[in-house]
Amino acid sequence: MVMTRENSAYWNPILETLPRERLRALQVKKFKRIFEWAYTNSPFYKELYKDAGIEPGDLKTLDDIRKVPKIDKGMLRDVQSRAPFPYGDILAVPLAQVTEFRQTSGTTGTPVYQADTWQDWEWWAECWAYILYAQGYRDTDRLFLPFGYNIFVAFWACHYGAEKVGCEVVPGGVLDTEARIMKMKELHCTAFGATPTYVLGMADTARKIGIDPRGIGIQRITCAGEPGASIPTTKQRIEEAWGAKVYDHIGATEIGAWSYSCTHQRGLHVNEAFFLVEIEDTETGEIIEEPGRNGKMIITAFDRIGKPCIRFDSKDVIRWADYSCECGRTFRIIDGGVVGRADDITKVKGVLLAPTAIEEVVRSFDELSDEYEVIVTKKGDIDDIALKIELKPGMEDRKESILARLKDELRVKTNLGYKIEVCPAGSLPRYEVKAKRFKDMRKH
Amino acid sequence: MDRDYDLKGMDARIRELRKTAEEIRELAQGIEAVRRDADRLLASVKMMELNLCDVAEVVL
Repeated sequence: MVMTRENSAYWNPILETLPRERLRALQVKKFKRIFEWAYTNSPFYKELYKDAGIEPGDLKTLDDIRKVPKIDKGMLRDVQSRAPFPYGDILAVPLAQVTEFRQTSGTTGTPVYQADTWQDWEWWAECWAYILYAQGYRDTDRLFLPFGYNIFVAFWACHYGAEKVGCEVVPGGVLDTEARIMKMKELHCTAFGATPTYVLGMADTARKIGIDPRGIGIQRITCAGEPGASIPTTKQRIEEAWGAKVYDHIGATEIGAWSYSCTHQRGLHVNEAFFLVEIEDTETGEIIEEPGRNGKMIITAFDRIGKPCIRFDSKDVIRWADYSCECGRTFRIIDGGVVGRADDITKVKGVLLAPTAIEEVVRSFDELSDEYEVIVTKKGDIDDIALKIELKPGMEDRKESILARLKDELRVKTNLGYKIEVCPAGSLPRYEVKAKRFKDMRKH
Repeated sequence: MDRDYDLKGMDARIRELRKTAEEIRELAQGIEAVRRDADRLLASVKMMELNLCDVAEVVL
């Protein structure tokens, strides 16, 4: 069969349908290559590996890879205090070859600075091209990107990946939400990308200025930055608001764009030709191969050369899916996206709680607005958890019954009782980038 | 899938591209414009290597 641009569902039909055993062979080969690159060129990695007594020649199989020391965000922060400024000796290229700077948001501490070479930036765009093509983007799309175009990576690489796919990209940077909506309408944009929170907020704003978001003509929306697009109730809410298909993508500044849902919208494919994803049991450290078992992700970017990312302990909690996708990709699928963070899953009143479980419940209530906030406090030795919500206009008469159902549903899904506070419509914070709805005020 | 494509032919031509771009880069010492253009070209060649040459080594 001759594949043509018109009938191919794949950006790269060779890699995306590669038989599993060949994919594994490719991964081992590519891991060895990036390991050797880092060992040879990055003083940080060389020291790490020498201390662990491991050399490039020691790596022959996947099992050998699992002996390679992991890195984490704390190490990436610490190395920044060394020369050369501002990245430290983790760089595997001369500073003069760095052409791109980005940084993490720093919400959990000092920001991590990310250096990329021009080749790395091409690679970012390539990773995004896989994502966008799988989600149906073609050269007939006009993609609007309503984000700040600043020091955070956000949708920067999406911009260049979309250009690579052939889309016409409209940069919606320094515009307010109303202006962005009007520009999308004026230009007949077919797609846009944002955090799930902002996508919902834009729909709300559109309605307030008399524009029906379903009438703009958006066909597809790509979400990032938060897990919402993989939470069925949030995804459904977005799709209904915009009359468009919603796709998820997962990436990170230090890692790259490593996972995506395709047009079949069933789980997220891991781009295994470009990344090695391992799932580790948080208790035992054992690598989890079977589906359905949660663990934290250890990830390697095979081809990022400026500041390599090798066995990075991301703290993202994921699980392998027990199903395949009809799209035919042989890349493994993670079920439900990032289902939590190893450092986010916290004990409240002795019960393990993942904040995404609260979102799933709140967003399943049509009577509630898109915004909510969870606040955990401690009085003496006793934890207290409060949930702030907004009722949609016209729902006040049904307040008591809605709250009773909400409490029941939260109890069933999270095993916790909440103090629920109904806030005036529009009073809870609205976010353009990553929302901060879960606030743990306890002193640990 | 590899039966449908001339992997070997594409692989060989990509390698030629790299060689050519590297030669231009070398010859262009002192002509910053051309040297930088060659760098960008080499980054694109690398993407073709990731998309094709790496896997060609595994399947051929």
